[in-house]
Amino acid sequence: MAELKTPQELGTEKIGKLLIRYAVPAMIAMLASSLYNIVDRAFIGHGVGPMALSGLAVTFPLMNLSAALGSMVGVGSGTMISLKLGQKDHESAQLLLGNSVTLNILIGVIFGALSLLFINPILTLFGATQVTIGYAREYMIIILAGNAFTHLYLGINCILRAAGHPNKAMLATIGTVLLNTLLDYLFIMVFKWGIKGAAIATVISQVLAFTWQCFQLSDKSELIHLKKGTYRLRGDLVKNIITIGLSPCLMNAAACFVVLLINRGLLKYGSDVAIGAYSIINSIGFMVVMMVMGFNQAMQPIAGYNYGARQFDRVLRVLYLTMFFGTCVTTLGFAVGEFLPDFCIRIFTNDPELTAIAHNGMKINFIFFPLIGSQMVIGNFFQSIGMPGKSIIMSLSRQVLLLIPFLIILPHYYGINGIWYSLPASDILSVILGFSLLIPQVRKLKKMV
Amino acid sequence: MDKHYCICIGRKFCSGGRNVAALVAERLGVKVFDRDLLKTASRESGFSEKFFEEADEEKTRKGLRSLFMNRFNSSNGFAANYLSNESIFNMQSEAIRNIHEKEDCVFIGRCADYVLRDSDRLLNVFIAADIDDRVDRVCRHADDMTPNKALSLIEDIDRRRSSYYNYFTGRTWGDPAFYDICLNSSTLGYDKCADIIVSLAKEKLGI
Repeated sequence: MAELKTPQELGTEKIGKLLIRYAVPAMIAMLASSLYNIVDRAFIGHGVGPMALSGLAVTFPLMNLSAALGSMVGVGSGTMISLKLGQKDHESAQLLLGNSVTLNILIGVIFGALSLLFINPILTLFGATQVTIGYAREYMIIILAGNAFTHLYLGINCILRAAGHPNKAMLATIGTVLLNTLLDYLFIMVFKWGIKGAAIATVISQVLAFTWQCFQLSDKSELIHLKKGTYRLRGDLVKNIITIGLSPCLMNAAACFVVLLINRGLLKYGSDVAIGAYSIINSIGFMVVMMVMGFNQAMQPIAGYNYGARQFDRVLRVLYLTMFFGTCVTTLGFAVGEFLPDFCIRIFTNDPELTAIAHNGMKINFIFFPLIGSQMVIGNFFQSIGMPGKSIIMSLSRQVLLLIPFLIILPHYYGINGIWYSLPASDILSVILGFSLLIPQVRKLKKMV
Repeated sequence: MDKHYCICIGRKFCSGGRNVAALVAERLGVKVFDRDLLKTASRESGFSEKFFEEADEEKTRKGLRSLFMNRFNSSNGFAANYLSNESIFNMQSEAIRNIHEKEDCVFIGRCADYVLRDSDRLLNVFIAADIDDRVDRVCRHADDMTPNKALSLIEDIDRRRSSYYNYFTGRTWGDPAFYDICLNSSTLGYDKCADIIVSLAKEKLGI
């Protein structure tokens, strides 16, 4: 956000109204990016086959890693640009934009080239077998060739948001999803290009979105625009961008490591099909999680502002309300996962073996979903009130710190179900951890009201 | 031409910057803003002063901790985090601009030279001193201070001020290119420093 003026309404307007108003745009963007996953996987599952779905799934850790690097540059330069725009220092903001473009190209090309060079060992490490590696390689070669565009598209979207154009950024996100859906249909269903078609669709829609972004940013009347002479990297700027972006990058990289563990576990105790099943469960779960994130993003300015202004009763109210909404969303996810699993799975496949595995996995995975809504809200709450340490503990605990030991131990006793059990087991522990951190904090806030 | 002038004084830790600033302000009959700037910013924004103190120039965290603790707070596109260091810095800058609009003044630190860079009545000064004098000063101020401890304290605080300044301004802290004049208070003494600044101010700022 270019202007960081503190709007009075955050301290006076009704909490429910504020929360909804801030949540709607965030939710739309979050839904769009989770829909992208679902659409791609649905077309591949139905149009190419269940094994292709598994082939796609083994590429996730690599895709996550690439996204982690992209978000590093995006978050870092976005934060710096919004700081500079707040100071009306347009020259520096411009320089940051140019530098981030160069940095994205550089990292995108190097990551793409290195991964292409070692594509076989990397995919095998991530759980590819002789059956699936063909699909995975076919898909990944095209994605990696367009890797620089992916980074540019995501990076510039962060910058558009930071430069006060959240609507344009959202338009780019939604446009990419729609275009990708259309092209997926065309390439996979009509032209029968197979899994390659999905990759080509992704790259084309990102290239087009990036072209549109460039068009938006070449308008000379804009506060910041692409300009000659800003692309030469400057050491101090690069250092700032990377230090700011490093923590979100490391968090994403940790998540990628966990997906790797899960994929390998599923392969060891199950089969290729189980990896595909996990990708189905994951898409549905991800959608639920993203919707809670939408509420989280809306809570952040409201809780932060009121905490700063010492209006602790309002801080508590927004916390409770967000926890309520978050729990509603995850409970809905729970209901769908427990009572209509086959309905969800049918979006992706009609294969009976894959359906059976995904059905079993989903029922186990979603069992504690009603509780994790509040866990996610608690983590974000700590960040909102300026306690990033506790916030990091919260988000790492559920997806990394508590999950890894379970993933290593449980399969020894329960086989493939051990992998499925690990997910809810770490859910429940992290919920307990969350409340044990939150309750003392709430007590303190209540005393200060 | 701006209605009011402003003298911004950057300083190495324990170089007597505050003493010099006080002398300058006394001679010109204007107010000095140092830490009380945080109070002003807090009053104007309605935010508790605690947050401004936590984000102040000597409080930046170092090393691995800084990676997570200082940065993770950053705002994202949809939701500004009002407690992020960037947001606090912007509120503080707003307070600096408001003061500059209302009265002639002397600012100590807090990147005021950068915040007010577009003003045409601005004098930027940097004050340093010989290391021995600075160590002496630190030792005089605290009872249980040894010269060694003082030296590492000085290095530590200088590093924090420098990383704060460089991060928020994109300039280099203490680089002569960004100041109108750099003075050594060991060579000149506080009085002489103040004399030089006042006469330069009269000439450049048309007082």
